Amino acid sequence: MRESGPERYRVWYMNRRRLLQTIAATPALLPAQQINPSPDESAVLKADSPDAAGQPVRRYFTPAQFATLAALGDRIAPSISGRPGAKEAEAAAFLDFLLANSPRSRQVLYQRGLDTLDRAARTKHQKGFAELAEVEADALLAPLKTKWTYAMPADPQAAFLRAAKADIIRATTNSRAVAEANVAGRRRATGLNPYWHVIE
Amino acid sequence: MATFDHDVVIIGSGASGGMAAYVLAQAGVKCLMLEAGPMVDFTRHRSMKAVYDLPYRGFGEPGRFPHITQASEFDANLWIDEKKNPYTHPENDPYYWVRIRLLGGKTLRWGRASWRLSDFEFKGKDHDGWGENWPISLADIAPFYDRVEPLIRVSGRNEGWAQLPDGQLLADESTDSLSIQRFNASAKKLGVPTTKPRRATGTLASSVNLLLPVAQATGNLTIVPNAIVRELGVDPKTGLVNAVHYVDRRSKREYTVPAKVLLLGASTLESTRLLLNSRSRQYPMGLANSSGVLGRYLFDQFYVKNTVTALVPEARGGKGPRNLMGGAGYVPRFTNLKPGKPEKNYLRGWAWDFGSGGTPSPELFPQWGADLAQTMADVQGAGFGMTTMGESLPRFEHRISINPTLKDEWGIAAPHIEQRYTENEHNMAKDAMETGVALCEGAGFEVLAAHSQMVPPGESIHELGTCRMGADPKKSVLNGCNQAHDVRNLFVLDGSAFPSGGVQNPTLTIMALTMRASEYLMEQKKQGKI
Repeated sequence: MRESGPERYRVWYMNRRRLLQTIAATPALLPAQQINPSPDESAVLKADSPDAAGQPVRRYFTPAQFATLAALGDRIAPSISGRPGAKEAEAAAFLDFLLANSPRSRQVLYQRGLDTLDRAARTKHQKGFAELAEVEADALLAPLKTKWTYAMPADPQAAFLRAAKADIIRATTNSRAVAEANVAGRRRATGLNPYWHVIE
Repeated sequence: MATFDHDVVIIGSGASGGMAAYVLAQAGVKCLMLEAGPMVDFTRHRSMKAVYDLPYRGFGEPGRFPHITQASEFDANLWIDEKKNPYTHPENDPYYWVRIRLLGGKTLRWGRASWRLSDFEFKGKDHDGWGENWPISLADIAPFYDRVEPLIRVSGRNEGWAQLPDGQLLADESTDSLSIQRFNASAKKLGVPTTKPRRATGTLASSVNLLLPVAQATGNLTIVPNAIVRELGVDPKTGLVNAVHYVDRRSKREYTVPAKVLLLGASTLESTRLLLNSRSRQYPMGLANSSGVLGRYLFDQFYVKNTVTALVPEARGGKGPRNLMGGAGYVPRFTNLKPGKPEKNYLRGWAWDFGSGGTPSPELFPQWGADLAQTMADVQGAGFGMTTMGESLPRFEHRISINPTLKDEWGIAAPHIEQRYTENEHNMAKDAMETGVALCEGAGFEVLAAHSQMVPPGESIHELGTCRMGADPKKSVLNGCNQAHDVRNLFVLDGSAFPSGGVQNPTLTIMALTMRASEYLMEQKKQGKI
């Protein structure tokens, strides 16, 4: 009787399975180029993170605020002796992403702080903070010269600068650029730690 | 169909639940352990990652943990989900409830500091007239400390001090670094005692590697993870616990299991929450609460993190001899040890952890740019830091209660937690800061920053009380063997049993109390009293 429909396929699969079993059991009889060179199911493939492939899309700060933040990053954590600074670490772009997801109080602190910094530059020098000379920019960061206290400063601009300084340094230190520079410079690798996956 | 015929049900798998299983299973007692969280597989659940590969570059997801400051982006998945497990506190009195729901509980992440309590704690009321004594003394629990310390491999140095009883320790005979020696000498001049840290050792010092494997190897322990206990059932005729009602964490399916004896070690606030949620005709205010003090007298140990941050000047620029920096130490409570009127403007006392060799945070330096980079290179490894741990006094008004309008992901009523630090704790923190500065300056260190700002209550993860033991059933929930006055087949083993806590980290005492209570339980069973 002629096979038809699903039954025919079942028989075909059985034959194919038998064929595959036969091949698997007799690898030595086949030419070398037909053997899968990596039969290990537990092979570990290397993968990379999203920012290794593309440019992150900015979505939080206005262009003026972003320019001010980037310039602030250059002053707080500049590249020194070939070691990456905030610019190479793309700290401003990262903080744009972080602030977009942060609590409202933090967003307000940054927005007002960046606007105030830029406004102060325009009042004093008739140009934006991002266009100031280093000496001019540093003069506007004077609140950072205040001695550290546990309590946040009462002055909102001083509070913003303190927060931004910490965030810029951290975003720079924890960047891929700094990690790769450490490896290239044969300095101690940093930032490698045990990571806990979701436990279900 | 479940067929396991158990003698006891243990709720929780951390320091107390794990120790109960360890003792009882080895003695031939059939144990059923219910753990609210999943099991951890260190091979499968953990791998090495670079911080730049994390989604938030190590900052962590903003807003994910409003109260768990200890969580990092690397270990965020170990801590409890605060959205699924909500609680409330008064708007102006934040309480940081820090939880882990995994097999092994907080012993997966504890700091391992292991100090014995002394009779300054057990008999505190006799000493200064405040609060209540424990119904036991050091002599009652010392034999159990003697057995727990070797089990968790505590290292340290015995000093013969009454306020810090000696233990069965792996002797720490290491030579202190020169900076630690200088600090110790400065402390000695001011009459402040110092000693080596006393910590459980080993790659992991947890219930999951030291206690549960031994218990399970006996064949007498069945572990059921993902079992969130909703309520304890009571026999209306006897008033004894007779059932445990739990919910599967993943499916939310409800289950009931019979209980002959119930050992509760779900952690201080979870255990009390469960008892408060277990209301019946016999116990309308919560199980075992005829005294009305269940949920009351919540306290912890307050922390002032980085009370003093200093620099060892000779270590700047990587200079100084190789043995200048490194190492750590501990200052036990040394104030108000004489009986009678306190010598300070507060009751009781505080302790310090101190360490040499870290690098201070760049935030502490009033600089930026190249100047800051130069300073950070200069001070690398030259730091000296101190953290204050102080006794907070148990007060009736500090409590956990049930919030009638809030439920967790599994429909279980959530708690409302009230605790605030009072003038006594604030005075202590200020004295600790001022004394710390004096000691550092006496050692020739350069003090960078000092403060006395305590972290919010709860953040030390040493929450204690709310199901206190005591000699008087009208003023306490448990007797001196962790057995409920009202319900003789109910034992509460975790930190909720503490009537007071001193400054010593509580885990060692929780384990010793549990070992003692477990052996008492077996004796009671032998005598047919349970």
